[in-house]
Amino acid sequence: MDADQQTAFREFVRDRSSALLRTAVLLSGGDRHAAEDLLQNALVKAAGRWHRIEEPEAYVRQILYRQQIGRWRLKGRRRELSVAEPPERPASTQSGTEAAESRIVLRAVLGRLTARQRTVLVLRYFEDLPEARVAQQLGCSVGTVRSTTHRALARLRVLAPELAPLERPEEPAAPTAPSHLEATR
Amino acid sequence: MNSTPTEDLLRVSLQEEAAEVAPAAPDLADRVLRAGARRRTRRFVGAGAAVAVVTALAILVPQAVNGGGGAGPAQVAERMDVVGHPDQSPPRELIAAGGTAVAAWYTTDWVEQPGGDRILTSTYHLYNPTTGRYGQVPWAFVAVAPGMRTAAVLEGELPARRIGVVDLASGKVQRWIPVDRPVGGLEYAPDGKRLLATTYAKNPDRTFKDKPRSVNDEVLPGPDPSRTGFGVVDLGSGKGSWHDVGYAGSEMDRALVNSREDFGWTHDGRQVHTTDVGTTSYYDLSGAKTSTPAAERHVGYVIAGFSPNGKLIGGPMTDSGRIESAVIDPVTGETKAVVPGQQLLAWADNRRLFAWGCDPAACSGKGEFRNRLLLVEIGKDSAVPLSNFRKPNDAAPGRWTPVFASRH
Repeated sequence: MDADQQTAFREFVRDRSSALLRTAVLLSGGDRHAAEDLLQNALVKAAGRWHRIEEPEAYVRQILYRQQIGRWRLKGRRRELSVAEPPERPASTQSGTEAAESRIVLRAVLGRLTARQRTVLVLRYFEDLPEARVAQQLGCSVGTVRSTTHRALARLRVLAPELAPLERPEEPAAPTAPSHLEATR
Repeated sequence: MNSTPTEDLLRVSLQEEAAEVAPAAPDLADRVLRAGARRRTRRFVGAGAAVAVVTALAILVPQAVNGGGGAGPAQVAERMDVVGHPDQSPPRELIAAGGTAVAAWYTTDWVEQPGGDRILTSTYHLYNPTTGRYGQVPWAFVAVAPGMRTAAVLEGELPARRIGVVDLASGKVQRWIPVDRPVGGLEYAPDGKRLLATTYAKNPDRTFKDKPRSVNDEVLPGPDPSRTGFGVVDLGSGKGSWHDVGYAGSEMDRALVNSREDFGWTHDGRQVHTTDVGTTSYYDLSGAKTSTPAAERHVGYVIAGFSPNGKLIGGPMTDSGRIESAVIDPVTGETKAVVPGQQLLAWADNRRLFAWGCDPAACSGKGEFRNRLLLVEIGKDSAVPLSNFRKPNDAAPGRWTPVFASRH
């Protein structure tokens, strides 16, 4: 890197690293330490190619997203994550408290999805990317994004039955028939 | 399309979680640039030497280790020459493979000084062949000689006025070599007979309150680059030749240079190099700047450098998105192979490397992104874990950095 490039790199890290870290923490299922490693590795890669990168944020984000997927491919059939213990059913009477507790429950079970499922959910529901953009970022088809999203949401409902009462009456509470779930979307 | 309540809840939940994440560390850019730009290449006695005699050392070949961070007891099995301790991080007992060992390791901490300066203080643990374990030593800088019988050390606070030669078996200083200029860094020549010493006017690991810099809206003490040049010390005679070498680049570049920017040997031991502000410069042993030697043309920032036979260079992670690094042909710059490591650190022999990484067969969940020392091999997708994951805990420091040396 020449002097100008190094200045630009430092400014990029100063301005964007906290935002990137937030995404990395979500991708890691809440593990900040893992997220810091993930981000640092991605930035080292970006630094090595800095003079060729047109859009640094997009480049670093793509590395963050794909690191997960790449690992998934290397492993083949994945075991279930067991980052979080199954949450206790919260006892609550008020809807406000219920909603808050549901969010806590949800956070815990997000850690129990596969990395790929979690990555897709973060891209769709936190980064708010449309399916086609998610597919492009991850290097897969829109169909794969769609089916992974369905399975991930279904898995959330399995892992956190507390969420079931929230669903509309026409959607099944317990997803015993995934194909039916996909059809409702 | 209307979203379901689950999706709404998911959105809110993710946003809440993200909002709770504390900001990134203010020195992240520094760490990234140091990791990328600095080469502390470990060279080995390899030229002309036949492959070291492989004595049948008892080894530990770890079985499926729990990727969650704890490890089951390592299983002993007879195999070649690999000594690993996947239950240990940082290592207590020797880690080695092929012709190379982790000869020492260190941790670093910022230590506040009276008056507001800070010093990035290294704490070294040096291998002791008598005990078979690493023991803490008081030196501010340690380089281990090929053969792992002696080490060259510097006393704190840097820069030091003399170089100590320590006997690993006893831990005692065998002799002190006085130096003409204050020294902040050391590297053994590939032949083990000379030391390359980097000279500094001030402590290269100190940041100064009167040179503040702004990082993420926070004002911190800043670096004051003061490298003056290098010296080559002949270990037999104790005599050194010292050369003034300023920083490459302009005054503006100087503002961006790391304060610790040590010189290193080229693979053939005939020249030295350093990387100021991302560009590598070469000098002959009289201190004159030279053009990039042909053999070094494709050497990048990856620490591993040349294989013992000089036919391959450890390269950076590939673009694939998978956790893998390239191994490069030094003549053409082409990728010759790909190995499952995040950061290639040192060659064990002409086919295997030490690397930071995460064993693809064993990682999952939290274990995915924490890394540990692995042995990777050209042509294999799997890796042998050599240490436990680096993570902070009450009993031991978290982030340790290995110092490699050849075993023979």
